[in-house]
Amino acid sequence: MIPILAWRNVWRSRTRSLVVMGAVAIGIWALLFLLSFSQGMIQSYIKTSIETQTSHIQIHNKDFQRDKEVKFVIDNSAELIKNLAKNDQIKQATMRSLANGMASTAKGARGISIKGINPVEEAKVTQLDTKIIDGKYLSDKGRNPIIIGKVLAEKLKLKVRKNLILTFRDGQGESIKAAFKVVGIYSMGNSKLDQAFVYVRNSDLNRLLSIENQGHEIAILANEINKLDPLLADLQSDNKNDQLAIEPYYVISPQLNLFNQQMSSSTGIITAIIMLALIFGIINTMLMAVLERTKELGMLMAIGMNKFKVFGTILVETIMLSMIGAPIGLLLGWLTVLLTSQTGIDLSTYQQGLDQFGMSGGIVYPSLTPDTYITIVSSVFFTAILAAIYPALKAIRLKPVDALRKV
Amino acid sequence: MNVVIETSNIHKIYNETKVPVHALNGVDLKIEKGEFTAIVGPSGSGKSTLLNIIGGLDRPTEGQVEVGGQDISKLNDNQLIDFRKDNIGFVFQAYNLIPVLTAKENVEFVMLLQKRSKKDRDKRVKELMEAVGLGDRMDNRPAELSGGQQQRVAVARALASKPTFVLADEPTANLDSKSTKDLLDIMVRLNKEENITFVFSTHDQRVMDRARRIITIDDGKIVSDKHID
Repeated sequence: MIPILAWRNVWRSRTRSLVVMGAVAIGIWALLFLLSFSQGMIQSYIKTSIETQTSHIQIHNKDFQRDKEVKFVIDNSAELIKNLAKNDQIKQATMRSLANGMASTAKGARGISIKGINPVEEAKVTQLDTKIIDGKYLSDKGRNPIIIGKVLAEKLKLKVRKNLILTFRDGQGESIKAAFKVVGIYSMGNSKLDQAFVYVRNSDLNRLLSIENQGHEIAILANEINKLDPLLADLQSDNKNDQLAIEPYYVISPQLNLFNQQMSSSTGIITAIIMLALIFGIINTMLMAVLERTKELGMLMAIGMNKFKVFGTILVETIMLSMIGAPIGLLLGWLTVLLTSQTGIDLSTYQQGLDQFGMSGGIVYPSLTPDTYITIVSSVFFTAILAAIYPALKAIRLKPVDALRKV
Repeated sequence: MNVVIETSNIHKIYNETKVPVHALNGVDLKIEKGEFTAIVGPSGSGKSTLLNIIGGLDRPTEGQVEVGGQDISKLNDNQLIDFRKDNIGFVFQAYNLIPVLTAKENVEFVMLLQKRSKKDRDKRVKELMEAVGLGDRMDNRPAELSGGQQQRVAVARALASKPTFVLADEPTANLDSKSTKDLLDIMVRLNKEENITFVFSTHDQRVMDRARRIITIDDGKIVSDKHID
């Protein structure tokens, strides 16, 4: 009888109940959209970071990880990269030589990181060739070609076909100065990267560093991001003398986790605010319902409905009132996420700001996992229970003799 | 002698700490099984207070109330609710039916609280609705019934739990003459045929005319107690 009574009571004040149901539906829809949008931003940020900076896994000499000195190359790196090519969990691997130094022109000088790359393999891992916005990508042709970022080009007032002097130290600590010719200007969609990194052929850099056929860093692109752990375990098992640091992207770039946590925290706070607003809306409605029904509640207790059942009726009524709107909100949210995950949300107007933030592309593709829907429905359910407590307590505190006198 | 209600030296004082109002001043009363009793008196005389106390809705400041031999003044709130459910039927002045339930469901409600079987409930609802002349209005909601019909449903509801007695607080106050007569006819018949004990508070001469005992109360005391043969 309690569910029947509660259900009919929900529809007693139809307009008022519909307003609450609408608020719940809109709240859930807004929450789903917000969560999917922030999830889309996180994924976009991680994707950009993997594509342009970290790849899925990087391998370094452990000493290089600590001191960043040119002499700490990966032992037997040429053999290692051949072995990696045979691993069916790996899509592509590429070796890089690294050096920190100074880029200078007649117009100025900037501190930079030099990456010596195999142009063909690098393109397969980072799609660097597709990031060229002026000039061309590195090739076998020409002497000491270099590609530089858009921001660095602007700072040093450099254009394609102009020369750039790179100064850095070799493995023996000797200062090296070499002229490179800008063949292309890239844009990663991240102003910090566009200023910090310049790319040269690893054959050129290795020759200058006197580390022929060796490298400091192997970047690996896995077939599936969700199966990194077995791949890492596999690679680690080959690292018998533990000389190599084999690290996934989230270790290499801890800011990815930080960003993820910050987004989770902020969406958590917004979720709490929306639930709080819902709680007050529901409490208000149920309190009005209880106050309007004071005499009736008094009568129910007079004829023998105990406090536990009165509490239960208010609780069930509140849960029904709150949960009727939930499927509508879920459906609207699901449709919105489905649609926007196909079309994307164009944020190119804010691209400059997003560049600073490390997000390229300007389009966010909202996405949600099924458990998010379950979490939201559970949140609304518990919100309803919380919201029911005060009106229900108010109801059971009524004394039948006083309640029956109410007009 | 089968005493259903017995009160001993009942006192009820409101606002004890501020300005005390003595609503009942030592009421001693015995009501036996099968009585059809009207408690009458002017407004503020204490008749509703007395009805509330013998109905277990309120507690006396002093004194003892026994219903069916059990001292209900010592029961806590939850025990009182259970006691009322099984022992007392209520008919209120304003009918007080549950508006979202049908007439049948209103009558059935208290039996659900008593956890009686569906078969038992259906049988009893049918009997009672026919007894109050509303066998054809079982599926109507209170808003679809007249005042007199609603009060008859309230009588059926009060009897559904098979109570020790029925308390009716001014049951005819909102009814026209025809409805009052119909209601009284039903209650008198149930009293005679099924020996159900009815206790009314009333101002209504038409009720007093049908009562077989009239207790007059004034200033919180019983000033007369007439048995009418």
